[in-house]
Amino acid sequence: MFKNIVFIILTISFLKTTSAQTVSPSLKEESDIYEKIYDAPLILDETQPTPLHELYNTKPLLVVLIFTRCTGVCNPFLLRLKESLQFKAKKDSFNVLVMSFDPRDSIKDMNLLARRFALEDNNQWIFAVTDSIPKLNQSISFYPVWDSIRNQYDHDALLVGVNNEGYITKKLIGMRGGHDLDLLIASVNNVFSPTYRLPNKNVLFSCFNYDPKTGKNKLGLGLLFIALPAILTVLILIVIGFSVRSKASELEESS
Amino acid sequence: MQQQSIFVLFLVLAGIATIVFTYIFISSKKAAAEEKGMSNPLKKRFWFSLILFVILCIFITATIPKSPYYLFADETPARVIHVSAIQFQFILSEKAIDPENPSGESHIELPINELVEFRVTSLDVNHGFALYDSSNRLITQVQAMPGYVNRLRYKFKDPGEYKILCLEYCGMAHQVMRSSFMVN
Amino acid sequence: MASIKLNKITSVWIISVLLLFIVSIVLGILMRLNQGEVISQSPITFYSNMTTHGLTMIGIWFVAGMAAVNYIMERYVKTSYTVNVLALVLTVIGILMFWASTFIGHFHSAWTFLYPLPFKEMGSETWATLMFLGSLTVLGIGWLIWSISLMTQILKKYSIPQALAWQHLRKNPTVETPPFILISMITLIGVIACLLAAVVLLVLFYAEYFSNGNFVNDALLMKNLTYFFGHTIANEMLYLGLAVIYELFSEVSGRPKWKTTWYVALAWNCTLVFILTAFFHHLYMDFVQPQGFQIIGQLASYFASLPAAGVTVFSIFIAVYRTRIKWSLTNLLFFIGVIGWVIGGLAAVIDSTISNNIVLHNTLWVPAHFHTYNAMGNVLFSLGFFYWFSIQFSDKTKVKKSTTLTLALLLIGGIGFLLAFYIGGAESIPRRYSIYPSELSIGASLATIGAAFASIYFIAILIFFFNISKRCLKILFSSS
Repeated sequence: MFKNIVFIILTISFLKTTSAQTVSPSLKEESDIYEKIYDAPLILDETQPTPLHELYNTKPLLVVLIFTRCTGVCNPFLLRLKESLQFKAKKDSFNVLVMSFDPRDSIKDMNLLARRFALEDNNQWIFAVTDSIPKLNQSISFYPVWDSIRNQYDHDALLVGVNNEGYITKKLIGMRGGHDLDLLIASVNNVFSPTYRLPNKNVLFSCFNYDPKTGKNKLGLGLLFIALPAILTVLILIVIGFSVRSKASELEESS
Repeated sequence: MQQQSIFVLFLVLAGIATIVFTYIFISSKKAAAEEKGMSNPLKKRFWFSLILFVILCIFITATIPKSPYYLFADETPARVIHVSAIQFQFILSEKAIDPENPSGESHIELPINELVEFRVTSLDVNHGFALYDSSNRLITQVQAMPGYVNRLRYKFKDPGEYKILCLEYCGMAHQVMRSSFMVN
Repeated sequence: MASIKLNKITSVWIISVLLLFIVSIVLGILMRLNQGEVISQSPITFYSNMTTHGLTMIGIWFVAGMAAVNYIMERYVKTSYTVNVLALVLTVIGILMFWASTFIGHFHSAWTFLYPLPFKEMGSETWATLMFLGSLTVLGIGWLIWSISLMTQILKKYSIPQALAWQHLRKNPTVETPPFILISMITLIGVIACLLAAVVLLVLFYAEYFSNGNFVNDALLMKNLTYFFGHTIANEMLYLGLAVIYELFSEVSGRPKWKTTWYVALAWNCTLVFILTAFFHHLYMDFVQPQGFQIIGQLASYFASLPAAGVTVFSIFIAVYRTRIKWSLTNLLFFIGVIGWVIGGLAAVIDSTISNNIVLHNTLWVPAHFHTYNAMGNVLFSLGFFYWFSIQFSDKTKVKKSTTLTLALLLIGGIGFLLAFYIGGAESIPRRYSIYPSELSIGASLATIGAAFASIYFIAILIFFFNISKRCLKILFSSS
């Protein structure tokens, strides 16, 4: 009996760990948190540069770092971000700023990129270039490396959350799921969650999963284990209660 | 000091309880054989319970908003300190700590009267992350649990050396697990 | 009435409990002396002793309560002698295995064995953790069988609603549920729930142990389960003592028996709910626990005091106030025990306030409050029962002068020993430190004072031990 229970638990946990392979948070995400992002002058169109603070003062920002000639991660990254953000509940609580970190990119290149993603008329999405790439990169610890053989930048897919005071509240590196995006959106809107999880070998039995959409904890399978003793007790009580009573009444009838 | 007022409150309550019980005991010792005991016990029981209920409700409404989870929730911290607890030391760093290769800074200085956020986790067992001020008084604490990061926010009001002690039993050298930092 | 067999097994329980109590007190005093730097133990010895002290104390006062409830329950329903013996055998085996794990294997994860510490101990034997988990399994199984057996016996006579006295919530109930049955039932349900929590916890421990690192548990889940088991069993053993008081207080005082009324029924049914959710207060400082649970923890801890004070304590007031009763050592112990329970409860409610807990959690305030309602509450409930049991076959019921002296020693020792803990808590001295750092040297002085007073308490317990075991041995070896 006992062996069986252990076996079942182990089997379930193996299935779970093998199926749930996703990109796990990186340590680099923890740098620069609550530091100010560099207030770079942004070129948004052919007119005067706009300082970055004018953008984040209007609405918190999710800053995406890309370059238009990228043959690697940038395009799928943008596409996935666009798709993921379409269905977010608090879509109006932030803007997305797509920044190029390649000095060769002009605002024309960026506008072309916007058109390619059908985002040129979407007010939530802002495409920009800047003259202050090194300073901006430094303020968010973003260090692309030029690869002269492939003629490409080697870089992370970085998403930076900036609240309306210009503080970096959270970073995401890599193509991340909707759950992490929710946490990012919550953080730029200054919703404090006193805790977060670390990448774990096994999340099968975790009790709660924080849901930033509602700001509440969703119940996990682990919670069942906390409730299990109480549920079993009630069952035992009822089973014993009825079985001994029916025996007692049988005895009464036969006597 | 919070601890002192708690201690005084406890002594007062314990004193009242002792006096009530002693008074009741003496009343029994002195009682004559024909005495009937308490008059109207059901009514008195009702009032006793009701008053206790009201007192409890007052304390609940007064204390729950002061819970640590709600403190400084809508402010942006001036500094973040990453804390990884490991048998039997605290690793503190301005930067995130790599669990595979944990290392931190030996000297940490924190600003006074500004919000500091400690991101506390553990790399092995459960530990406690407790802050003691320069007069050796426990001022705040949070648990360090493996797999989770707890964010403890605090504003230091006095300059000086603050100590960190482990307040969750973590094994044979639990009593010497400690660290410190300066506030100025 | 109780059979000879039941008298004998109850005597064995009482003698064993008192013997183990003496050993555990000695370990406790040694711990305080080490903290006071009067003696010098290695940290591993200290923490192994701390583990032994903790689980032995929990174990013996739990079985003391169970043995007393089993004995008295025979007045109402037939109980199983075989199960009683089985529980004794498994308890003895379990304790021996546990002591082997701590005394020989140097297992030192404390009796709460908070995951994953048992797997990450340094300086203990490799087999010690498995031996410890095995000992808990044996104890858990023995106690679970005992509790389920007693519950079954109650349910043979009373239906579930009757056993929970629900008919008393309506007007003019036709069937009367004695308070003893009601409280035993409520307590047994809680006991079974917390023992099942231990089973789930142990299964998860074994799963990780035998999976060679393929399966890793969630620390938050394990902590919740640990305190579901640990907090609840520590709490339920007090209620076992209260069941005895509801039965015996009026009887030894020469007063009419207490009756179940609507408010007694209501109070104890509420207690069942509060007691199963109050353990959340052990996780206040784990910010990862959802806030809803934290608040439930504070509400349950606060409101658990309502039925306790409004019904049980007030019933004691009514029973004693301006009422001429026969005072004997039994009801004196019960009465003083209730004071200890109330004062420990006050300290507990203070600590269960989240905003206080942040400066009290895991300081000496914690051992302060639970030693209050154990050493000065539950122990006295059980001693009262032991004394009553041991003298029921003789006619001495008057309080002797020497008894007054023993009680005085018990009170002086107990109060001094507890105050050293309380002051330590207010001075931010951490609990579970084998020695204190130099800046908290007041902790060392308090520990020495605590040890001195604990020794006075110990003398009183020795006197009780000799008096009670002498009579119990007579019962054990008498032919009728």
